[in-house]
Amino acid sequence: MSVAGATGIFDSVQRSSAMAASARRRRMRLLPYVLLAPSLLFLGLFTYLPVARVVVESLYDKPHGTGAATSFVGLGNYARVLTDPAFHQAALNNLIYAVGVLVPTLVLALAFALAVQRSTRLSAVLRTVFFFPSLVPLVAAASLFFFIFLPGVGLLDYYLARLGLRGPNWLGDSDVALWSIIGLTVWKNAGYYMLFYIAGLQNVPRDTVEAAMIDGANSWQRLRFVILPALAPTTAFVTVIALIQLLTSVDHVIVLTRGGPSNATNLLLYYIFQSAHENFEYGKAAAATLISVAILLAISFGSLRIMERGARGNG
Amino acid sequence: MTIVTRLGMGALALTFATAALPAWAQTKIEFFFPVPVEGKLAREMTRLVKLYNESQKEVEVTAVYTGGYDDTKLKAQAAAKAGKPPSVVLMSANFNVDLKLSGDIISLEPMLKADETTRDDYLKDFWPALHANAMVDGELYGVPFHNSTPLLYYNVEHFKEVGLDPAKPPRTWAELVDAAKKLTKGDRYGFLMPAGYDYLGWLMEALSMSNGGRYFNEEYGGEVYYDQPSMLGAARFVEDLIFKHKVMPQGVTEAGGVSTSFFAGKASMVLLSTGSLSFIRENMKQPYDVAFVPMNVRNAVPIGGASLVMFAGQSEESKKAGWKFIKWLTTPETLGGWSRFTGYFAPRKSSYDKPEMKDFIAKNPDAKVALDQLPYAKPWFATYQTVAVRKALEDEIQAMMNGKKKADQAVKDAQKKADELMRPYVEQTSLKLP
Repeated sequence: MSVAGATGIFDSVQRSSAMAASARRRRMRLLPYVLLAPSLLFLGLFTYLPVARVVVESLYDKPHGTGAATSFVGLGNYARVLTDPAFHQAALNNLIYAVGVLVPTLVLALAFALAVQRSTRLSAVLRTVFFFPSLVPLVAAASLFFFIFLPGVGLLDYYLARLGLRGPNWLGDSDVALWSIIGLTVWKNAGYYMLFYIAGLQNVPRDTVEAAMIDGANSWQRLRFVILPALAPTTAFVTVIALIQLLTSVDHVIVLTRGGPSNATNLLLYYIFQSAHENFEYGKAAAATLISVAILLAISFGSLRIMERGARGNG
Repeated sequence: MTIVTRLGMGALALTFATAALPAWAQTKIEFFFPVPVEGKLAREMTRLVKLYNESQKEVEVTAVYTGGYDDTKLKAQAAAKAGKPPSVVLMSANFNVDLKLSGDIISLEPMLKADETTRDDYLKDFWPALHANAMVDGELYGVPFHNSTPLLYYNVEHFKEVGLDPAKPPRTWAELVDAAKKLTKGDRYGFLMPAGYDYLGWLMEALSMSNGGRYFNEEYGGEVYYDQPSMLGAARFVEDLIFKHKVMPQGVTEAGGVSTSFFAGKASMVLLSTGSLSFIRENMKQPYDVAFVPMNVRNAVPIGGASLVMFAGQSEESKKAGWKFIKWLTTPETLGGWSRFTGYFAPRKSSYDKPEMKDFIAKNPDAKVALDQLPYAKPWFATYQTVAVRKALEDEIQAMMNGKKKADQAVKDAQKKADELMRPYVEQTSLKLP
């Protein structure tokens, strides 16, 4: 073999190793995307594609049963939703429902957390007891409350009768029904948010609390001026999570009242369901969906801003 | 090659052979069915489908349990939208108009033609009250499968206790008010009816029909008669039962609450479906009896229940297979067996000529009353936007039952809302002029 041939081989080996290195670098650069691809694919297919379809669907209308073709109506569906009295009622109900659930839930969650924060054997049992309702699926909880709320013969009326009281028609009176639904939701959620407060309480600086004690602050003052401000980020976080949850679950409404009586318990999500599946108004349902999503995004961003400000203030 | 692998290969080959054999000859179809009441019905339906699959080789039916009536409609439409429509669906009979208008279900006229029969011949054996709901715009779209009417259930003990004759239940509204007043005592109400969505519309239809009315135009999907004297009278009657005679509790009670109150002796007379007969028979501890829905002008009740429909978008073979299955499911024997099992009545008259059915009726006199009421049955309301149009009335009647509105205003507002809902259809049909 000649020298030239040998150097040729050497060159090509060197060249090929350089090529291999650059290929490896290219592969390394691609690797993250390859690894991400499955998740991206599914995220795209099952999250963003449906969202895009809803956006498109909200701009078109096909009047049911009139033989008319699907036509582009621009923001027409949005206008129809926003002027629909049933939508106004559902939105108002949802607002009452959200505030009505949120406030007692937060108070109870905090009270529970304060009661069980020290780890004794009793508080371990109590934690389980308080947490139990969140383990029950909402549909099951609603079926349970069906029997509790039964007018005249239900558990609630049975015990009220023992006290000589007569309860209202819990789910059948249009002035009471939404509050019954609110009561059920508070029962269901308070234990769950207690967990966040228990975690939050661990992070309240001990020395600040002790300093307050030495300064002669009683337990109410310690709670009001030391613990609550320290818990502000937790409260903000729980508020956001709770609000989202309150807009996105209507299982109990479907099981117990289907929005009745006279739409008194109709919530936004159920309104969307009715538009799409009872009334064949897919365009309107899509528009209402996007309006609800917009509300959710506004709540989330708004609260996150407040939370950030709160965190900075604390720091 | 070891003996084990050889055996394995053999088994594999056998599997392929058996799997391949019927595949070329067999048409596979899907059947969606709801079970409105209880799980035991789902098992019975699965048993029937298995029986059918074993009885012949051409069609293999996969039965899919799809929840309640509403869920079934939803899932069938979703499957059709995704390009995989079910062949046969057991659908709430009053959805047919809307489903035909939305192009989801197909006319069964071609199948009748292929069988060399006419619609009149085919429907002859079905109770006349069922014909209107089986047809849309003069064509056959659904084959009735199980049906019901409202029925008055009453507590025999309570009747005796207040000196009423249990053999003479109230036949008119006047007698109903009379009896209910006597029966109301302490925390016990003389009369109760379900007033949740769906049930309330059906019972208001029963009351307005008993008052001489029609509720809707059974030949045209764009008209309802909410603000007419027949419905106004029915609404005022319900209002009076609550606020004037005080024999019925204020507010809305769902069907589950009504049957529980009846079982607990807190309600002496209740209006419930004949479809609840088996349920009441099994759970009521005190003696009870049943009677016709009391009338003011004439005896008349609407039917309810479900019929078998076929979805659009399936192949010709699939259609043929589906129709074959429908015919098997609706023989007088199968329908009779299902009726005895569920408490619904069988849509075919000839089912009642079978000896098993005669035995059953003799043993269960309450089923006899339900059957006797059938000749007075009328079609179930089905219009353009059936659910929303029905809800328009229900929301107003519920408001009235809660004391928020008077009957006269309630029916007026219901009519206005219903007219608004039906306007797109009316404008495309009866108001579309040359």
